[in-house]
Formats: sequence, structure tokens, C-alpha cells
Amino acid sequence: MSQRTDMRAVREHREVLLIRVRALTVLVVTVITLITGSYWYHQLVRGAHYANLADNNRLRKLSIRAPRGLIFDRHGKVLVENIPSYDLMLDRSRADDIAASLVFAAGVLERPVERLAAELEKASNRPDFVPVPVAGNLTLAQVAQMSVTGREHPEFEIRARPLRLYRHGPQTAHVLGYIGHVSKQDLATQPGFLPGDRIGKDGIEQTYDSALRGGAGQQVVVVDSRGKSLQEQHRKPADPGQDLHLTLDLRLQQAAEELMRDRTGAVVALDPRNGEIRAMVSSPPFDPNQFARGLGAKQWQALLDDPQDPLQNRTVRNSYAPGSVFKIIMAFAGLQEGVINESERVYCRGSATIYGHRFGCDRRSGHGWVNLREAIERSCNVYFYHLGQTLGIETIARYARAFGMGTATGVDLSGEKVGLVPDNAWSEKTRGTRWYAGETISVAIGQGPLLVTPLQTARLMAAVANGGALVRPHLVRGAFGEEPPPRLPGSMRWLDPIRDGLRAVVNAPTGTAYWNARLADVEVAGKTGTVQVISRAKVDGELSGNLRNHGWFASFAPADDPQLVIVVFAEHGESGSSGAAPIAKALYEEFFASRAGTA
Amino acid sequence: MKSSSRAALGLPEERRTFAGASRVDSGLLAATLLLAAIGLATVQSASAELSIDYLPRQAVWVGLGLVLLLVTLAIDYHDLVDFSPFFYLGGLALLVVVLIFGEGPGGTRSWLTIGGVRLGQPAEFAKLTTALFLARYLASAGERHLDLRQIATACAIVGMPMALIALQPDLGSAAMFVPLAAGMMLIAGLRLRFLIATALVVLALGAVGWHFGMKDYQQERVITFLSPESDPLGAGYQVQQSKIAVGSGELTGKGYGQGTQSQLRFLPARHTDFVFAVLAEEWGFFGVAVVLGLYLLYMVSALRIALRARDRGGILLVVGLISLLGFHVAYNTAMVVGLLPITGIPLPFLSYGGSFTLINFIATGLILGIDLRRYVNR
Repeated sequence: MSQRTDMRAVREHREVLLIRVRALTVLVVTVITLITGSYWYHQLVRGAHYANLADNNRLRKLSIRAPRGLIFDRHGKVLVENIPSYDLMLDRSRADDIAASLVFAAGVLERPVERLAAELEKASNRPDFVPVPVAGNLTLAQVAQMSVTGREHPEFEIRARPLRLYRHGPQTAHVLGYIGHVSKQDLATQPGFLPGDRIGKDGIEQTYDSALRGGAGQQVVVVDSRGKSLQEQHRKPADPGQDLHLTLDLRLQQAAEELMRDRTGAVVALDPRNGEIRAMVSSPPFDPNQFARGLGAKQWQALLDDPQDPLQNRTVRNSYAPGSVFKIIMAFAGLQEGVINESERVYCRGSATIYGHRFGCDRRSGHGWVNLREAIERSCNVYFYHLGQTLGIETIARYARAFGMGTATGVDLSGEKVGLVPDNAWSEKTRGTRWYAGETISVAIGQGPLLVTPLQTARLMAAVANGGALVRPHLVRGAFGEEPPPRLPGSMRWLDPIRDGLRAVVNAPTGTAYWNARLADVEVAGKTGTVQVISRAKVDGELSGNLRNHGWFASFAPADDPQLVIVVFAEHGESGSSGAAPIAKALYEEFFASRAGTA
Repeated sequence: MKSSSRAALGLPEERRTFAGASRVDSGLLAATLLLAAIGLATVQSASAELSIDYLPRQAVWVGLGLVLLLVTLAIDYHDLVDFSPFFYLGGLALLVVVLIFGEGPGGTRSWLTIGGVRLGQPAEFAKLTTALFLARYLASAGERHLDLRQIATACAIVGMPMALIALQPDLGSAAMFVPLAAGMMLIAGLRLRFLIATALVVLALGAVGWHFGMKDYQQERVITFLSPESDPLGAGYQVQQSKIAVGSGELTGKGYGQGTQSQLRFLPARHTDFVFAVLAEEWGFFGVAVVLGLYLLYMVSALRIALRARDRGGILLVVGLISLLGFHVAYNTAMVVGLLPITGIPLPFLSYGGSFTLINFIATGLILGIDLRRYVNR
């Protein structure tokens, strides 16, 4: 083969090759263009999306908790404050041997290692690099010990967090309430909460939670791929919670708590002129500090199972038959409706037979002839049986409602009961039967289905004391505006004979509270009430424990210039006179003594 | 031997004289140098948070690469093609040696080490020797279309190193022989129908291999590729983080050394396989466009050299090298944005790596040398 033809052959093949190389060039350009297009799509079309993802990667938003507002009594005494509490935190990502670390910490703290392990177990679902608490409420000595001997254990750190301190422990417990961890429901329904946040669970802590809590701040930190925080990028300081000044008078409150110790019941003291609550006690109490420190399941169950129900605020969440205290409303209704007057007398021979039933009076031998003042003073049932029969249930119910029975007082506490004012409509709706006239006779002396809370009773007394205004009870100063309170219907001159009667209850030697509530230098006016827990006819002899009658004493003083209303409800306290009135008396002494002292 | 191989290349002995000295192709050289410089800068940024400083090492590799580029340029590629059977056999021998004595990450045998010192990855070297030997064989074929015997022989030439590399196991590197062989054979005269037939056979074999040959983690990679969000903290993590790095670079990037994905260690293998994600994050689409433009310049320049070359062997060699390098570029950049499954395929001139860097410079030297000697055969 000659070289010339050989060359030509190469040339021919070369042309074919070159066409293919050009095709390859087109392929290369196309592929590079497609890839460039793909980057265009990712970086420009979807760029913002990925920039956001990159930020989510590197930025951790941490919430800075605001210090919770403090709570003071009306004289500026601290009731609730925040103190630092020290937790031992374990960063599992920095521990070589977690078990060994726990053993070390347990040794330093002198706590069983199982307890630390159990705490750690609770946080097992959290990422490793998030420090978790393994021991709480360290003493300062333990903190010092840990920081000295713990140098070789960088996995541990001490975290100080504010702990809610209720200065007076169980005293003021029901008013203040307590705080606890936010529930899953709170997290779902209320924005701005993080797991582990505390929220007011009861009392003032609950009602004013948002004011007390303030606004959480935010800290944005840059983290690396292992979650290690590298630098702070942004910080929005927390908005501290607002302090609250209560209407409560700590001295009076403590006196009332002391008087109710070992008793079950409720005390409400309020200013009849404006509704400011000076003292509010529900007994037995609980210790809100337990909740702040963190309540174990066992302790929580014990509180729930306690038959005395210490968590229940009896001033607003329990309702009872008002007993003879209801006679105040009966008297006002009778006078207002014109069916009785001050001088008209009724003869009491110890019982009355109405609608074929015999209704007994407190005094089996009878009170003889009694007028309105005497009927109130001696708490004569027969007088009010006749009045009830005359008025009828619908009129009674109307006046009861006018005095605020059956509606919430609007106090700044949650879970308030509205009580019950029975009438025909109520009977048909709930019992499916007509109201029987005979039942009206029971209602006339505050028995039967009638139910009121101690706070409603205090509001009723305030209306009598202040000349007819149904003030709104409240615990935080200036909680409610200047809106004028609703007033009782009709003429207020009918309150005078009632007040005369109430004054006589305490100050006339024959009054039901003469021996138990009378003060030497201040005139107290009040009304006793005794609520039968079971019918006397059913049990012979001494009644004991939870079968004993409840006692009421609702009062105000001084009688001619009322400054304070006190309502005492003694659960199973035997009677209003012996079980409740002495407590009110002691409280008035405390109140007027401190007033004289400070004046 | 010497004259017969000349004849095989279709080059008469007496024509082989150095005449008409030419300049090296400035576009190709500029692209090479710029890419290497960008590579050094990006490796520095990508490894800034690592305990080992990769920049000085990579600088040494680049320096050595430039020396080897000049050395390759000085040697007539015809001689290299002539000796390619020996290089090829030497390459195979190294692959056998590395299979026996090699070390590598995760129990693989890809690194040749002596006394604890890494000498390199024979697989990279084998790519080059195979390209040379295949160029020699296909140049001698010399017909418009390859016949079945020629196709089988070419496949055997490519298949042997592939098989040895696959045994290491390094499927990513083994797969790189496919574009190399396909590119050269298509140019040499492989009918498209053969390619299509082969593709079907490969798919069938792939299906069989999926069930019987693939290890769990390899299957996982493919699944992860198909659905990266299914396992964001496991195998899909890399793709996800890489896409975030690229996308968040947006138009102008976060600035050199400011890429949060890489500096905060969210991005895996950021100085090697994912170095382009670092670049995309820090320089944005501008940087991506510049680098892809440089690769395009490199490849188009090389293919223009192929068009200028006067002999079959030179054309085939350029095409083989460009197929290899182009596939690396395309696969790596596509993998980084999640268009292709993740395998350990580095990006030429940008990724950190000794053997790989050297091979890229030698290949560049070869291509430039082919251009320089294009008048030899006039």
C-alpha cells in the first residue's frame, strides 16, 4: 500500500472522526448548560428556601424567660418572690461514661444514684447535646462542692433558675395559687409557650398569669452541626413580669389562718365599701412551695386523695346551704313587698304546721310573740316560715338573685361556683317535677336546695352594710374599673330594720351571737346560721365528725359605719354561734386593734 | 516494534519530524491554572475548621502536577502510545498489588501504602494507562465502524482494570471507565445500536446486581438518592446538607470563608467530593457559573485540539481523556445538587487529593502535547 493512498485513507477516516468529535462538543456544551441551569434553579429560584433551611441549621432560637412578677399585700409586704434554685445539669454529649458521671455526682451530692438516673431517664428523648437536669434544689454547699471537685467532669454544669417562693407557705395558699409546668394543652392553644415553661395553675398566679409572666426574650445563637453553640447573634431581652399589689392584709390573713387551723371551712373578710378582700382563707390549706419545687406523683396523688380536699378553695368553689343567714334576704323581701312591717308580731310556740307538715323552730319551747327585729335576733324559724309561705318561691328567688345569689361575684379567681337559687323552673328542669309549696318553707330558713358560696354571702352582707350596693369582691388593687356596682331593688330604708336586727343578734343578751361575737368597744352586727347536714330526727344522741352541722356567721362592723364584712363558714362546726362567730370576733379584734395601732 | 506501532497508528516513520513549532493552547492552559488556583482557595476555606490543614498538601500536589504537566509535554505522546501496553500491564499489576496489600477507608483496599506512607491510588493511574492503551488499539482498528471482535477486545481492555477496581471495592472509580471507553469507542466507530444494546444489557445486569451483588449500604445510597428526605439524619443527610449549601449561596454567595454550611460542619466531605458545594455556597451562582465556564473552556479547547490533530491516536486520546474528565465534572456537579446518587467521584482540579490531582495535570499535559505535535505528521 503506497503512502499516498494510506494518507488519503487516514484523511477520510479523520473527516468521519471529526464529525463525531463535533457531536461530542455539542454534547459537552449541552450537559454543562443543563448543569448550569440546575444550579440556576437551586440558587436563584429556590435560593430563599435553602437560605432559610441553612439558617434553621445554624441558628438556634432560645427563649429567655422573664422574671415572674412579685406579689405584695396591701401594705407592701412580700407574699411571693423569686429565689435562685440550683440544678445540676448533665451534658451527655460530653460524658465519656454516663454511669460513672452519675456515680460521681451522687457521691458529691450525697443522694442515691438511682434518683439521679431516674431524673436522667425523664429526659431520655431529648437530643444528647441538650444539658438535662439530673438533680434539683442544690444547697449552696453542694454547689460549691460540685464546682471544686467537678473540674474533671466538664459534662456537669450548675444552672441557676428562679424558684417561686411563697413566703408564708400554706398561709395565703388559696389566694395566691401556685405555678406548674405548662400542659400539652396550653402548649397547643397558647402561643409563646415552650415545654418546661411555668404557668399559673390556680389563684392569683393563674388569674394574672400573663401580667406576672411578662414577655419572654429571645436569644439567637449560632450552632455547629453537633449543636455546640458558637456565638450569640441576637438578643432580645425579656420583658419582666408585672408586680401585683393585693387588697389582702397579711396580718388579718395570718390571724384568720391561725384561727382556722385544724378546722375545715372558709373565712372571707372584705371592705363593704369597695369590695376589697382583706382576708380570704380556705382550710385546710396546702403548701404552694411544693408545687414550685416540683411535686412528685405520690405527693400529688396524696393531695388529690385527701378527704379534706386541701386544694379546694372553699370560699368560692364550695357552695353550701346558707341557713339562717338567708333570713336577711327574706326580711328584705317581706318589707319591700309590704307583707310584713317592723312592728307586726308572730307567735312562736316552737313549731308551725303548714300544709299539713310540722316545721320545728330552733327553740323547742318557742320564742313567744316576736317582731321582725326579734325574729332576726333570736333566729326564729316560725316567723320566717309564715313569711316564706306568704311570699312564695318565685318572689323569694327574685330577691335572692337580687342579692347576688346564683351568680358569680366576679372575683379575680378562677373556678368560682355560682350556687343555686331554686324556683319552679329550676325544679321542672332538673327534677322534672313541680316545685312543692312545702319546700318553700325550708327555703325560707335557708335550707333545701339553696346553695351559696362564702364569698357570695360576704357580698350579700356588704350590700346590707353599705346601703344596697352589690360590690364586686376583688383581690388585686384596682383590678376592676370604677363601674358603679348594681344595687338592690326598691327602697333602701328597709335595710334599717334589718340592720337593727343584726345588731341585736350580737349585742342583745338574747341574740344568737351575744356570747360569741360581741366586742367591748366596737359594735358588731351579724347573723348566725346553722345548716343541718342530716335530719336531726334520723340520729339520736351526739353527732360527730362529718355528720355535724355546718356553722355560718356573716357580719359587719362597726354597725353604724361598716368598714369590714366578715363571713365565717365552719364545716361541721356544730353551729354558727359556737363554731363560726368566735372566729369573726377574734378577727374584728385583730382588725380594730391594728387599725387603732396604726392610726 | 517501534515502526510497526507507527504503522498501526497510520503514521509513516519518515514523516515523524518536529516541524512548525506551535504554541500551547492558551485557553486550555489558562482554564487549568485558574481551576487549580480556585481549587486551592476552596480547599483552604473548606478545611479551615478541620484539624488537619489541607492547603499546603494540596499546594504540593498542584506544584508536582505542574511539573508532571511540563514533563508530559516534553515527551512525544507517540512514544507514550507506543509503550502503552507496558503501562497498561503495569497498571494492572498495581491494581493486583493494591488488592493484596492496599488499605483504605472502611475496609476497602484502594490505597497503596509503604511503611504507612500513602503512595497513591492505582485506580487513578489505571485510568490513564487504559486510555493510552485503548487509544493505541482503536487507532489501529482504522475502519469506519468497529466490528464485533474489535468491540469485544476494547471491552476486555477496559473491563480488566474495571473488574480489579470493583473488587477493592470502589464502584465509583470503576464506573469512570465506562464514559472513557464509550467516548473513545463511539469516536472510533462504535455503532449506536451497539451502545443501546449494551445499555440494555447493563440495565439487566444492574437489576441482577441489585439483588445479588450490591451490599446494603450501596442499595441504601441508591434509595437515598431517589428520596433524600426519607432519612434526613442518615444517608440522606449529605445530599440534603449539600443542597442547602448550594441553594443558600443564592446569586452572590455568602463570601469566602463565610459559608455557614461548611464552616459549621454541616456539609460532609467538604474538601473532597463536596468541594463544589462549598464554592457554590460561598461564591453563589456567579462562582458556579465561572467554574463551570472554565470547565467548558477546558473541554471545548481540548476538543478543538482533537479537531486539529492529524492522527487517529491523538484524536482518540483527547476524546478519551475529555470523556473521563468531563464525566467527573458532570457527575460531581450533578451529585452535589442531588441530581445523581452520591459516589466518591471528585471534581478535577478542585477536590483535594493526591493521585487524582496528578492524573488531571498529566492528562492536561498529554492533550497540550498532542496539539504541540500536530504538525509532526504533515
